[in-house]
Amino acid sequence: MNFDLSDDQRTIKTTARELLAARFPLAEVRRLAFEDERGFTDAQWGEMVELGWPEIAAIGTVELIVVAEELGYAVAPTPLQSTWAAGLLLGEPLAGGRRGAVVMDGLSADAGGADVLVDWDGAVLTGASVEPVRALDPTRRLFRVSGGEREPLAGDVSRGRLQATVMNAAESVGVAERALEMAVAYAKERKQFGRAIGSYQAVSHACAQMLLEVEGARSAVYWAAWALDHEPGEAALAAACAKAYAGDCGRRVTRAALQVHGGIGFTWEHDLQFFIKRGEANAHAYGEGVAHRERIAALAGL
Amino acid sequence: MDLTLSPSEREFRDEVRGWIEAHHPGREPAGDHEQFEFRRAWQRSLNERGWAGLSWPTDYGGAGATLVEQAIFYEEVARAGAPQMANVLGLAMGGPTVIAHGDEAQKQRYLPPILSADEIWCQGFSEPDSGSDLASLKTRAVRSGDEWIVTGQKVWTTFAHQAKWCMLVARTDPDAAKHRGLTYFLMDMEQDGVEVRPLVQITGEAEFNELFIEEARIPHANIVGGEGNGWPVAITTLMHERAGLAFALQVEVQIALRELQEEIRAAGRADDPLIRQRFAQLYVEAQVLRLNAYRGLTATMKRGAPGPEGSLGKWHWAEVNQGLTELAMDVAGPRAQLGDGTWTYRFLRARANSIEGGTTEILKNIVAERVLGLPRG
Repeated sequence: MNFDLSDDQRTIKTTARELLAARFPLAEVRRLAFEDERGFTDAQWGEMVELGWPEIAAIGTVELIVVAEELGYAVAPTPLQSTWAAGLLLGEPLAGGRRGAVVMDGLSADAGGADVLVDWDGAVLTGASVEPVRALDPTRRLFRVSGGEREPLAGDVSRGRLQATVMNAAESVGVAERALEMAVAYAKERKQFGRAIGSYQAVSHACAQMLLEVEGARSAVYWAAWALDHEPGEAALAAACAKAYAGDCGRRVTRAALQVHGGIGFTWEHDLQFFIKRGEANAHAYGEGVAHRERIAALAGL
Repeated sequence: MDLTLSPSEREFRDEVRGWIEAHHPGREPAGDHEQFEFRRAWQRSLNERGWAGLSWPTDYGGAGATLVEQAIFYEEVARAGAPQMANVLGLAMGGPTVIAHGDEAQKQRYLPPILSADEIWCQGFSEPDSGSDLASLKTRAVRSGDEWIVTGQKVWTTFAHQAKWCMLVARTDPDAAKHRGLTYFLMDMEQDGVEVRPLVQITGEAEFNELFIEEARIPHANIVGGEGNGWPVAITTLMHERAGLAFALQVEVQIALRELQEEIRAAGRADDPLIRQRFAQLYVEAQVLRLNAYRGLTATMKRGAPGPEGSLGKWHWAEVNQGLTELAMDVAGPRAQLGDGTWTYRFLRARANSIEGGTTEILKNIVAERVLGLPRG
């Protein structure tokens, strides 16, 4: 029994955090979100490819979610998650810098310019129409996909779907963790009535509640990732638990962080908007909480 | 990361499971006295196996079990529906406090009868005017030769009517700062100066008592950890209270959840989408409770001591357990108006979960201040 990252996994985590902090300071996130048409640069993508990140799931699902969590923490605009998801459904990571995207409910993140389009039902799409749409989350380009030829995948996509779902849940954990950090830092620094607002229990208890949810979501995501590689019998249930809890965590915690910030958090110039938008968008991608909870009830035998 | 038990841990689990199966005393009898003797016999049986003081060092009659083994043990006890031991507070709080802060003579004197349940312990911390603000307590102890004369009132003292010893925190220096003027005593309950009155709660039971102390006498040698040092010694007791129970509690939640699932089916509500959503949410929360307990265990083993994150588990457990009973009441529908159901009792009893052993508000303060580093209010 050892419910913690291994030394190697911890190294992956710290390396990812440092690299992403250097490449995606929030000013760069903002620039990519609002000024760059594609939403990422070749240099940024090329570096991730060089590091082998698109193929990290080949090491293990825990390694995958460790990096996914850090991408959420950095709220990094990158087609990496979509490329992962496509590779997971295909049963093989996309190598050589190829980019992929997954189509769900007619919508697809990062479909523009993707080398491979995979339908969530388990089919490769070719010749589909890919139209950019305005997205809630400005750090992730979203497209409407229609038509095209469907070529069903030979392999079973159920494990890949679960992995992609848990990957997205992990990202929400990182999003929520960063929002909590921002809220706590602000609560220590912002003074009203002559005191730091974090000394008021209405604020400090909200922050404590955020921590409970972030740590709980992390536990659920670790469990699901571990089960996918080591305990396949409980993977479907664990993945549904992880997505339901972490998806809610990503939006509840970012909403609470905005409340702690007060008016400044509502302004366009404040960076909290990237987290609240990513958190909310994630909760609706890869299956909504309601659908995952229904699966949980069914899998638990109700 | 490895969420499975190692071969030796699995061996320990099988051993505990087999032993409990063979020695399980069956259903608890009704009646306060009968129940107490039943639990005392169960503890003695466990003590013969060396498991009553599971976490205690072997030098003092314990099993010196690792944290994982303790977790396994509590899980198995809960899973088998085995009874509590009679001397819960002595085993989980009093003994560990004496081991940490007591002198050698105290260890020799007090520890063996805790294990054998020959001497039951209770806890005299809370007072009518000192609940969450424990350090403001007013029970006074005045030195008189080799003795201390104690006067005051304590409340929420579980097992007081059966106890021989009370872990009593009293004010010995009224002029010192409030945390500094306290001393931790072991008070003999069998004396005229101590009166125990049962405290009836909203369930109609009396799990707790009030303690009226009028010039009770305590020998100077019964101080644990030194005069004026009562606060840190009391904190040791409270840390043990929160750490040890976490595992048993999370398993009890898993069991209650299965019972609730049966209840939902029996009531014909299994197809109701709202009920299914609420059930699933509780299911997830119960899993998170379990997983956090294991993560905390790994962290504690690496760090050597339980951290303040333990406070998260207690408050989360209270929320989940209350939520379970609330859903059960909704599942029962109009029948929930009846006063005699098991879930009705559980619903009422669960209201105390967010108060007993540290209110949720105090636990949030601890997390905000010690984990997040927010300024004190």
